[in-house]
Amino acid sequence: MTSFTVAPLLRLPLVIAAFAFLFLGLFLIYPLWGVLSASVLAADGTSFTLEHYGKVLAKIYYRASLINTLTIGLLATLITTLIAIPLALTVARLDFPGKLLLIALAALPLVLPSFVGAYALLLLLGRAGIVTQTLNAWGVPFGSIYGTPGIVTVYALTLYPYVLLPTLAGFKAIDASVEEAAQNLGSSRLRTIWTVTLPIIIPSILSGALLVFIETIENFGVPAVLAEDKPILAVEAYKLFIGETATNPSAASVLGTLLICLTATVLVVQRRYLANRRFATRAGVPAPTIKAGGSWRIIGVIYCWAVVLLALVPFFAIVVLSFMEFRGPVLQSAFSLKNYTELFATAGGPLRNTLMFASLAALATVLIGTPIGWVLTRRRSVWVSLLDVTATLPFAIAGTVLAIGLVIAFNSGAIVLTGGWLILVLAYTVRKLPFTVRTSSAILHQIDPSLEEASISLGVSPLFTFLRLVVPLMLGGIISGAVLTWVTVASELSSTVVLYSGPWRTLTIVMFQALEGTGAGLAVAAASILIAVSLIPVLLAYRLLRRYELSML
Amino acid sequence: MTDIRISNVSRSFGSVVAVDNISLEIKAGEFFTLLGPSGCGKTTLLRMIAGFAELDGGQISIGGKRIDTLAPHRRNIGMVFQNYAIFPTLTVAGNVGYGLKARKVASADIAKRVGEALALVRLQGYGERWPHQLSGGQLQRVAIARALVIRPEVLLLDEPLSNLDARLRVDMRGEIRDLQQRLKITTVYVTHDQEEALAVSQRIAVMQTGQIEQLGAPREIYRRPVSLFAAQFLGMTNLLPGIVEGRQGGGARVRVGAVDLVIADAAARQGEAVTLCLRPEALRILAASDALLTEEVRLEGTVRHAEFIGALIRLDVELAGGTLLKVAVLDDPHSRATPGSRIVLAYDPARLTIFRAACP
Repeated sequence: MTSFTVAPLLRLPLVIAAFAFLFLGLFLIYPLWGVLSASVLAADGTSFTLEHYGKVLAKIYYRASLINTLTIGLLATLITTLIAIPLALTVARLDFPGKLLLIALAALPLVLPSFVGAYALLLLLGRAGIVTQTLNAWGVPFGSIYGTPGIVTVYALTLYPYVLLPTLAGFKAIDASVEEAAQNLGSSRLRTIWTVTLPIIIPSILSGALLVFIETIENFGVPAVLAEDKPILAVEAYKLFIGETATNPSAASVLGTLLICLTATVLVVQRRYLANRRFATRAGVPAPTIKAGGSWRIIGVIYCWAVVLLALVPFFAIVVLSFMEFRGPVLQSAFSLKNYTELFATAGGPLRNTLMFASLAALATVLIGTPIGWVLTRRRSVWVSLLDVTATLPFAIAGTVLAIGLVIAFNSGAIVLTGGWLILVLAYTVRKLPFTVRTSSAILHQIDPSLEEASISLGVSPLFTFLRLVVPLMLGGIISGAVLTWVTVASELSSTVVLYSGPWRTLTIVMFQALEGTGAGLAVAAASILIAVSLIPVLLAYRLLRRYELSML
Repeated sequence: MTDIRISNVSRSFGSVVAVDNISLEIKAGEFFTLLGPSGCGKTTLLRMIAGFAELDGGQISIGGKRIDTLAPHRRNIGMVFQNYAIFPTLTVAGNVGYGLKARKVASADIAKRVGEALALVRLQGYGERWPHQLSGGQLQRVAIARALVIRPEVLLLDEPLSNLDARLRVDMRGEIRDLQQRLKITTVYVTHDQEEALAVSQRIAVMQTGQIEQLGAPREIYRRPVSLFAAQFLGMTNLLPGIVEGRQGGGARVRVGAVDLVIADAAARQGEAVTLCLRPEALRILAASDALLTEEVRLEGTVRHAEFIGALIRLDVELAGGTLLKVAVLDDPHSRATPGSRIVLAYDPARLTIFRAACP
């Protein structure tokens, strides 16, 4: 080749990648670099030092936060997995009435804010909780749910779908002939599941379990509600950074860096492990449902419904409680709308903010994430792999840490963003980007690339082929990605709590502040609105997506 | 009427050379086929013409105009894809008119030309249907209509029949061939199915590991393969390793196992190791009453296996010394060629190809 030219079909992907690198470089890498450098730079701001690490790790309190975070994460992951596998097996292999409803309900905790669940647990089983009070009145002793037990319970109940859904998909992706072959060779049905089926779906189970682990490590809301005196990394980083008495950004950055290292390690392990283990069988015929008889069947069905409903009880309780009267933190046995009138009188702005931020972030992730997903699916190259890693990275970054980084990066200098609403939307967009990228890649994998080639060879340029042909084909995936982004942003707390300022409070902040104060009534009303805000779009989209699918083919 | 000129074109993926310095001229109006096993580079070469595979080096011109530097959407090439690539969000008419819309043709003209194109592939009245209402064969016709309606300079077909069932495949290949003959459009066809290639093409390029192994008309490459690969890839054949024993008449005698075969080759030298290629249908069974034609040579053997596949019976005949010979004869109810029976075969030495190389 005599001159350097970019192949025509490479131009659009390169433009997209350049923009993506610019965006992620500015609002992800640069802030993270800020966190990292704050943790290793001495007070003069130029020389390298490990002094901050030494100081922080010398304190038993912070060492404990690391150990607690890991212990709770491992426990929650283990319990979640143990709950989800039998559930997935039963749902995959047993036919029972209401199964579709059960699956829909089982997915709900994914979109419901976990810290609302934590708060519900507090209201029911906390020191002044309704159930606790009742039990005490009857003379039944009841242990404390603060600290590890409460946090692990909430995680198990809200995160089990992360393991359930991939495991269920794994069970369904196994071709019936694999199990038939085992049985034909003389293996009993149970032995077949144990020796053939489970080993095949272990990658699915593990990918879900690692997701749970990452979620628990970076979660801020649940420990903020339930930890009490137990130190947890994400919460301590926040306290050190925002600090009511004295802020300590370098110590916060040390904890933030530790948090990043933890989650990044897990993510790398997950990708390395899964990259070499794809036990997918050629899915032709999914394994048939088993005609299990009598008691096994009853036990299985009861188990499924018990888990699914138990996970939803806290949210149901919150909604019921929101219609009851509180005097300070004390519940009265009278129904009223007082909580809501109070909420709308004081927190109309936060509701509006929540809706606006969620909409803007959903729009931005779709606009940025869909083209990235397209490049990742359609191109193979070194820079594509780099883009893949960069776009997945936010997933391993705790919201608190990203927010601290954004503050460090954009508090002064050429671009100042702190104190405004844009920094919140940017944080949400970066955090939820991996999600849109994944959903759009997933749907693009199902769209044959030759459709695009056909369009191009008929004379439509790559850009217009993408806009007019690919985007409409992806619409279902794009909508569902946007809805889920919207919903999860609406209940985001971990970066909001660091980044919000005066007029830009959100519903989650109202709840968070009400928790610290005495306004239990306000908090439950805000929590109920959050539940509604999370559920309504999902329910609407559920119908929309099904209709869309039907009209497609 | 446009010719395609491919000069010194190469492409490698990592350490794999997909297309290895190929030069090729496809004549205007020709039905040209790239034939080879998967991974031989035929699809890459086709996608280079279409613009979907980049060239590491070399040039491609269509009608004297260099196109390999042109963006694929500006090449005016019709392409039919292996899996049809019909847009599921558009009706049949929407699919066929897609390229015309991109060319900003007036909508009245689009309707007229779409109608004509659908008539061309015998799908009149299907314009308002949705792709999911059509069968595989119909989808393939829509794909062909969509590629032809833009009046492309060349038509590219990438294994267009591989997703159809066997009978439909035979019908469709005839239709594609007739259509091409009527429109006289320069056509490049990619397939791994040698029978399909032989049936439709004017010329075939047999490809292997990124190179053209043999180029020629179907009859020529089938009857006179220039390499062992070409001989094996096109149809069934007997490859018999032997040693030239000496000259006989205008040809030579070759020792294969414990029998002597006569060949028509004038250049064979005594003691030379050769491989003979003899097609199964070039052998015929000589009944007791039959006379040997003047140019023919006799062979005797024992039937070891007989496979009845309808029109043909395929026999494995063991010659003296254990050499197994594949023989194909038309089905004959009076045939006595049953396993274990002795038979006499006859062949014409002119139909035997000789390779001066050891058998692989």
